[in-house]
Amino acid sequence: MVILVKIFGELRKKIEGFNISGSLPLTLQIDSDGINTIADILNKYTIEKEETSHLFVNGSYSGFNKKVKDGDRVGLFPRKMALLYKWYFTRNEDE
Amino acid sequence: MSKKILRVNMTKLEAKFEDVPADFVALGGRGLTSTIVAKEVDPLCHPLGANNKLVFAPGLVTGSIAPTSGRISVGGKSPLTGGIKEANAGTSFGQKLGRMRIAAVIIEGKHKGEDYYLLKITNNGAEFIKANKWSNKGLYSTYKELYKEFGDKVGICGVGIAAEIRGTASGVCFNDPEGLPSRYAGRGGLGAVMASKGLKFIIVDETGAPGVEILNEEAFNMGIKKLAKALTSHDVTKPGGALNSFGTGVLVNIINEAGGLPQRNFSSGQDDRSEKVSGEVKAEEIKKRGGVRPHFCSPGCIIQCSEVWTKPGGKDPVGVLEYESVWALGPNCSIYNLDDIGELNRACNDLGLDTIETGGLLGVAMEGGLTEFGNGKGALKLLDEIKNKTPTGRILANGTAFTAQAFGVTRVPVVKGQSLPAYDPRAIKGIGVTYATTPMGADHTAGYAIATEIMGVGGTAEPRDTKKAELSRNLQIATAAVDATGYCLFIAFAVLDIPEGLEGVVDTLNGVLGTSLTVADVPGYGLQIIKTEREFNKAAGFTEKQDRLPEFFLKEKLPPHNEVFNVSDEELDSVWGA
Repeated sequence: MVILVKIFGELRKKIEGFNISGSLPLTLQIDSDGINTIADILNKYTIEKEETSHLFVNGSYSGFNKKVKDGDRVGLFPRKMALLYKWYFTRNEDE
Repeated sequence: MSKKILRVNMTKLEAKFEDVPADFVALGGRGLTSTIVAKEVDPLCHPLGANNKLVFAPGLVTGSIAPTSGRISVGGKSPLTGGIKEANAGTSFGQKLGRMRIAAVIIEGKHKGEDYYLLKITNNGAEFIKANKWSNKGLYSTYKELYKEFGDKVGICGVGIAAEIRGTASGVCFNDPEGLPSRYAGRGGLGAVMASKGLKFIIVDETGAPGVEILNEEAFNMGIKKLAKALTSHDVTKPGGALNSFGTGVLVNIINEAGGLPQRNFSSGQDDRSEKVSGEVKAEEIKKRGGVRPHFCSPGCIIQCSEVWTKPGGKDPVGVLEYESVWALGPNCSIYNLDDIGELNRACNDLGLDTIETGGLLGVAMEGGLTEFGNGKGALKLLDEIKNKTPTGRILANGTAFTAQAFGVTRVPVVKGQSLPAYDPRAIKGIGVTYATTPMGADHTAGYAIATEIMGVGGTAEPRDTKKAELSRNLQIATAAVDATGYCLFIAFAVLDIPEGLEGVVDTLNGVLGTSLTVADVPGYGLQIIKTEREFNKAAGFTEKQDRLPEFFLKEKLPPHNEVFNVSDEELDSVWGA
């Protein structure tokens, strides 16, 4: 039961046990047990909310409380990579 | 000394300065090019005939010390869309015109015969020099020769081989700070308009220029301070921020993750091989190779999103590889190799081609079987056909729609004949509304600016929601206003979030014009420009039927969202209340 998580840029440094070299994103398959929202994934790697910018779940621009489940694809971008035509996007949220 | 217009008659080979009419004084950039084109060009004229005009206009603050304000607009009737066109670029060329107090250069008429000319503009006047020896050559070597002949302080504008064969994919090329032919007012085939008149190059020598006139120094200086503070403090625009660190290419991974990065001629919105051509990978590679990053396209820019891409070992600099160019020549053609993309971009710069249109035409050429998707070397060979002016090259040089027609391809990603940029409208519907309804033909920059909240409007921004008319309209209006100022659109990221930044922009305009405009005046200013452009297009024969996306966007589902473009015709028509 896994969630595919793509971690971009300097956020990769937050993931222990991986040698970061080059500029390709880090692609992780994480166990979905105990993971209900994007915030849970951030907590797992002690990533602070203000260290992030764009968050995606299955291609949907999302907020911290967006629900995630087995089989989803999650993308996490660092604050330093903030660049969206934000007027075309709002964060997709769950309660 | 007030500003002048330089009117250049290519039929008679005459150039003379005129006073700027009183009602044009507050116009610059796109505001001025579109107003002049609408006033002086018959909308039904042939775009490559004697009755079209090509207008160059620096923005209102271009050439001053206002930060990030080095834009110049180029306008005319587009041979690609058949409608009005404004394309702009960041380059010292425009700044020099601004400091010479030249509000616009209007190129009109058409030289009879086969000769090409170079127009040299100095503070004292203009002269025509035969340019045949620089035709039929690549622009990289030619720009070097021109600098050798005219000195390294001049600004250069030119058109390449693609324009010589009147290709509607040809752009107008300006110098970058290294003197490379890499800064383009690329879209809409304006290069062919310039070449059709017998004009190959414009050289600007600003020796003795008086500088941009500032009527209210206090307002101007206050504005600069506010804007500079906003740009240096905002995450997107500050030194070390996203644009400065990675360039526009930072969007490759973001838009791929959003499922909206068109792959293989708009047949999918996501392919993880795109990660290999991201802005992060490119920045790393530039550092390794000894290229330049960050870099400014024109002096005085705080953001500095530009760069100099090179071959391995720092050899043979190309110039910037923008997000749109990397996407067009890369993922859109299933090419995921930065070296191939770099060489394709070099070929575009060398031949005088718009990179977006070229990526579009290569995509349909691949679909039509001229070479395989993913074949970078094959794509380069196709561009050689343009260089060699072969019949196939002449088809390709006329852009995506023309190439598709010639080779029987039906997935044709164009609006008003112009190829779509790097955001699939099925995944990001608001930008699809802008593609459909801007007077320019499919253009991402047309609706890309100031915040909806600053404009005092609502409008939902959920990407796949279909209610987008109000959002797109307000973005288009704001963009038109920014395009008139000479500021780069990227200032929008900062002035959107920091109200003092936008005030600073308006303060600098008041400083230059001696006016007392407020932020509330901005929308009216932008709307007037769009109205002028739409009236021209209407007289050229456009109806609401041209404000549509091609059929396949409405019928073919785009993975991974598996959605079509389902914004209704009524919603599209409500953008301008047709």
